Amino acid sequence: MDFERKQLMKALAALAIERVLLGAGKPVFEKVSSKLQKEYKCYIPDCYDHPEYLGNVLKSIFGNSYVTIVEQIREELVEYSDDKDMDILIKTIGS
Amino acid sequence: MLTIRKQNELQKPLLITLIGTGLIIMTSTVLGKEVVKSVTDIMYIVITGIFVALTTLIVWRFRTTGSHGKAWLLFLGTATSWFIAETTWTIYELVYNVNPFPSIADVFYLMGYPFMFGFLIYYLKPVRRAATRKLIITAIGISATIAIPSIYMAYSFDPSVSLLENILATTYPIVDAIVFVPALIGIVLFFRGEVNFTWSLICTGIFCSTIGDLGFQFTTFTNTYYTGHPIDIILIWSYILFSFGVYDHIKIFKKDKSVEDKVKYSDDRF
Repeated sequence: MDFERKQLMKALAALAIERVLLGAGKPVFEKVSSKLQKEYKCYIPDCYDHPEYLGNVLKSIFGNSYVTIVEQIREELVEYSDDKDMDILIKTIGS
Repeated sequence: MLTIRKQNELQKPLLITLIGTGLIIMTSTVLGKEVVKSVTDIMYIVITGIFVALTTLIVWRFRTTGSHGKAWLLFLGTATSWFIAETTWTIYELVYNVNPFPSIADVFYLMGYPFMFGFLIYYLKPVRRAATRKLIITAIGISATIAIPSIYMAYSFDPSVSLLENILATTYPIVDAIVFVPALIGIVLFFRGEVNFTWSLICTGIFCSTIGDLGFQFTTFTNTYYTGHPIDIILIWSYILFSFGVYDHIKIFKKDKSVEDKVKYSDDRF
């Protein structure tokens, strides 16, 4: 049950990240995915367990303004903050 | 580190192109005004043509997806307008042997600015919340300062210059200063990011365009402008900087086939 819930939360986190990045453009989403893969050997859903990776990648592409992208992802996920790991993700992403 | 290395890769060809175009125009000047006129006009068409081609490539890559996709489509509007303007200017000057200022070419030059402004706004849209009031006011202040000489010249113009010429020559530096506002904001917002180099080139391009247009206004009012004048070097540089900016962006967001398949695999897991 816990495993299933974790998978669901992981998928929701991935969807939220994808939606925000696609808002900028498909190549932006592809670039972030590619950098995560190359630099951390992980995929978008893995950011649920390693939010700092996503923060670092966004910072390397967008510089100072990455905080606003992180903020948008936080807003997308805040309704699931009752989940412990999701709460950690919201609090630690980009910090 | 990677970003710095990549920037260095582009800095050398950019510098060579800027120096090269400057030298070609200066050398042509030695050969006479007719030669420099032809060389400069053709150079404008070639460079804006490359600018259009590169912008088409980036539009093809983004395919109007998201706000950046829309931004690049608007930038294509700018590139196309200025390419048509330069071509029209050249046809008037080299084919019909008439003074191209003022002419229909000015309509296309001016048409490029709303597209440019739209591009900058759409590109900044996803990160707009990072723009503080202080930053916006500072950017407006800097841009307004740049526009002051233009407004001053407009009030003290030579009576031999027609009112239409005065209005047009004054409008260019002012609209340059307007588009300079979001460009400056972008420089600060994307500082230390990979896209900052693209943004710096576009911002420097707008700055060159502003200086060039101020020079054009001044030389028009003093009746000293001719195609191939040193201020044309600065205006050509602006197109080169825009083109390199677009090229840098193409490089940053190029498709990575090796990773693409693995990302698809990760999506399939859900």
